Amino acid sequence: MTSRHTAGALLASPLLLVLLLAFVAPVLLMVPLSLHPYVPGSGIASGWTLANYTSILTDEYYREVVLRTLVLGFGVTAICLVLGYPLAYYIANAGPRMRLALTMLVIFPMLLNLVVRSFGWIALLANRGLINNLLIDVGLIERPIRMMFNLFGLLVGMSHIFLPFMVLMLVPAIQAIPKDVQSAAYTLAASRLRVFWSITLPMSAPGILSGSILVFVLTISALVTPRMLGGATYKVMATLIYDDFLQTLDWPAGAAMSFVLTALTLAVIALSSRLLKRWGGQA
Amino acid sequence: MPALTLERLEKRYPGHVAASSVSLSVNDGEFISLLGPSGCGKTTVLRMVAGLIEPTGGRILIDGRDVTALPTNKRNIGLVFQSYALFPHMSVFENVAFGLRRQGVQGAELTRRVEQALASVRLSALGDRLPRQLSGGQQQRVAVARSIAPRPSILLFDEPLSNLDAALRDEMQIELKRLQREVGITTLFVTHDQGEAMSMSDRVCVLAHGVVQQFDTPEAIYHRPATGFVASFMGRPNRLGGKLARAGGAAATVQLRDGPVLAVAQAEGIADGAAVDVVVRQEDIRFLGAQDVSDAANLPRYEARVAMRSFVGSRVQYLLALGGIELIAEAATNGPHAGLEVGAPVGVAIDPRHVYVNAAA
Amino acid sequence: MSTSTETQRQGLGLAATAIAVVVFLQIPVLVVVLAAFSKTAYLTIPPKGLTLHWFEVVLRDPEYLSAAWTSLWLAAASTAAALVLGLIAAYAIHRRMVPGAAALTSLFMAPLVLPSVVLGVALLQYYTMTGLRGNSLGLWLAHVVITVPYVVRASLGSLAAVDESLEDAARVLGADGFTSFRLVTLPLVKPGLVAGGLFAFITSLDNVPVSVFLLSASQTTLPVKIFTSVEQGVDPSVAAVSTLLIVATGIVLLLAERWTGFHKHV
Repeated sequence: MTSRHTAGALLASPLLLVLLLAFVAPVLLMVPLSLHPYVPGSGIASGWTLANYTSILTDEYYREVVLRTLVLGFGVTAICLVLGYPLAYYIANAGPRMRLALTMLVIFPMLLNLVVRSFGWIALLANRGLINNLLIDVGLIERPIRMMFNLFGLLVGMSHIFLPFMVLMLVPAIQAIPKDVQSAAYTLAASRLRVFWSITLPMSAPGILSGSILVFVLTISALVTPRMLGGATYKVMATLIYDDFLQTLDWPAGAAMSFVLTALTLAVIALSSRLLKRWGGQA
Repeated sequence: MPALTLERLEKRYPGHVAASSVSLSVNDGEFISLLGPSGCGKTTVLRMVAGLIEPTGGRILIDGRDVTALPTNKRNIGLVFQSYALFPHMSVFENVAFGLRRQGVQGAELTRRVEQALASVRLSALGDRLPRQLSGGQQQRVAVARSIAPRPSILLFDEPLSNLDAALRDEMQIELKRLQREVGITTLFVTHDQGEAMSMSDRVCVLAHGVVQQFDTPEAIYHRPATGFVASFMGRPNRLGGKLARAGGAAATVQLRDGPVLAVAQAEGIADGAAVDVVVRQEDIRFLGAQDVSDAANLPRYEARVAMRSFVGSRVQYLLALGGIELIAEAATNGPHAGLEVGAPVGVAIDPRHVYVNAAA
Repeated sequence: MSTSTETQRQGLGLAATAIAVVVFLQIPVLVVVLAAFSKTAYLTIPPKGLTLHWFEVVLRDPEYLSAAWTSLWLAAASTAAALVLGLIAAYAIHRRMVPGAAALTSLFMAPLVLPSVVLGVALLQYYTMTGLRGNSLGLWLAHVVITVPYVVRASLGSLAAVDESLEDAARVLGADGFTSFRLVTLPLVKPGLVAGGLFAFITSLDNVPVSVFLLSASQTTLPVKIFTSVEQGVDPSVAAVSTLLIVATGIVLLLAERWTGFHKHV
């Protein structure tokens, strides 16, 4: 038994070492960083303080950023559900060729560089972007509508980016619903809509939850798209952290915000796995 | 020197003992079966001999050498798995060649040995096929060829025929036995099927709950079961309970619970008045005609009545009511007693040597 | 029960919605490609003139070329390392050769759960402290960390699908542990590994949230360069680079599907 364990240790320890050195240690080292005070002008001071954390709750600006991030999370998740469910349902019930084609068309944008996709939205939503130019040329508006650097731009852009994730989580969940349960409902003289509401939708609930959690977590953690579509002025938590570390150099504040973001993410994931476990028996 | 010796082999897990003090000695070229119901430890013992499970006690000796601590790949054994375990991404030829290549055999010699192995299982033309292109029976034969090609000192089989249908199974039993005779390799064969074990083996080792019950020739196990378990595992048993009585001297009888008294020939070591488990096999209950002058006429005779009759093909099964109890008996389909009617009275004889008693468990 | 025409109408409605969403998904991609060929620096439909000028600019720019090269070797090096480290660790976990398999698996998958930006800034501080900032080694390690979870996940899945008695059979036939892994298990887990490796490669190639904190002006990757140059103002050369990336991704996707039936492993 021991020779087996030595071999196992040899196989698993390189990766373990890499992760301890380049993942666990760096994250742990941010804890003391977040507890140091920051003096604008001179940098990180020695000494300990909880101010970096408390200011997230007390400072109006920070509160706004956190709230905005959460609102974005819920908004994007909702839009992805509304747009994604019909597509997922269609794919789940389609013939194999259609299913393959549609799946590829859903996966393709996912594999594209995030920066490229966000850039595409800039090209569409900017004041001199495609949509505004089109509307002005047609004569519907006189001055460009502001669609970037605000909630609207972020909602639209991020819903588009994360929609494939929602669809890919929903499809297997819908496919897993036994067809004979739906057929049984039809024989009991239920209309298509009723069958959908009382059978299909509830039975795909685990998939809806998994997809929603994934999209929510991805949205609140996102850096690239909010930065490109929101700019330096309209910030979310991730872009605030970016600015703290690279612009204002207030590393302690950035570190504290990082842990708050991480805590939010972990809390959401933990809550949903509790829920999923409870639903496991009913679905 | 025996080809394979197991000395007090033991495998203990937290919570249960899979094998306990298993000792046996197998001679060169013998075909031995490990027989027992599922969970009896036979597969555990086999896998310990193969080196896939580490024993918690005891020793394994192959050709006199202690191999207990030796890793599997150095033991020079062959193993045919229940699922065949053919390498799906390799052709039949490559599967059979695998063990030979590990021994350093190459080139023309390799080809010759592979073809020899395939020929011995009569699969010569299929070298290029992939396992998934073969039938179950063919896959099984490739598994055998692969195991014998490297000329191991011991060949192990882990219930290799359980996935085959009945007709194919019978055929393979004969083939495997013939192959084993030709090659002369010491063989350990695990099965839960007593017919299979008896028909193929020189000796059978019966296991129950990790303990060896009896290790002897098929005839000895069948006719002289050493324990109650063996008595009720072999043949087609009627299991009954009762109390032993010795009427002075060696002769003994058993008073069946709610039933008649049967004469018993062999009841060593059981005290007068002790509770006993009794086994009388279906095939041992002999029907007597009105004027029977066969040797059965000298046996104790009991009067019974036919309660039910079932036609099972090669034999006819009867449920007999006999003095308060029911016994299942059988008669040959083409024999004189195949047509008994329900409700008819019939005389039966039971040889006291076929009444197996053991102290109640 | 609804009539058949009503059912048909509902069916058509569903199909129409589905198609509309799929089209919506492709729109920004099409826009980028359109912008890459447009003569003007702003976009109109129809475009006011087509040109290949921006592609020329990009393909001649040494900064873009060096960024592309950095992205490629970084992705290749980190995927290679992730494949080796991830596969052997997954094997040890799968064959129960180490205690605490569940805890180890969680740790190996943890980089997927932590927000990338948090890992990025943590590494920034860490590398500043250890002097690895701006160093290729540090960059490579960071990319191994973010790609290895995909390899571990794909490996565990593929290993679970392989019959355990196959390696036992190889051992009985005389192969030692490594040989039986190499000749029997490895060929059988290859398809899953390729899918995992592809995911890892693309993750590294595309990464911005971790890389942006670790790069400098002299050494940058393609996505980070596009990201930072957009901040300075949009011009169609960005669109041209993006179009090239789109084409490359499309080709890779088709090849991957052809070779491995990629979509089954997603």
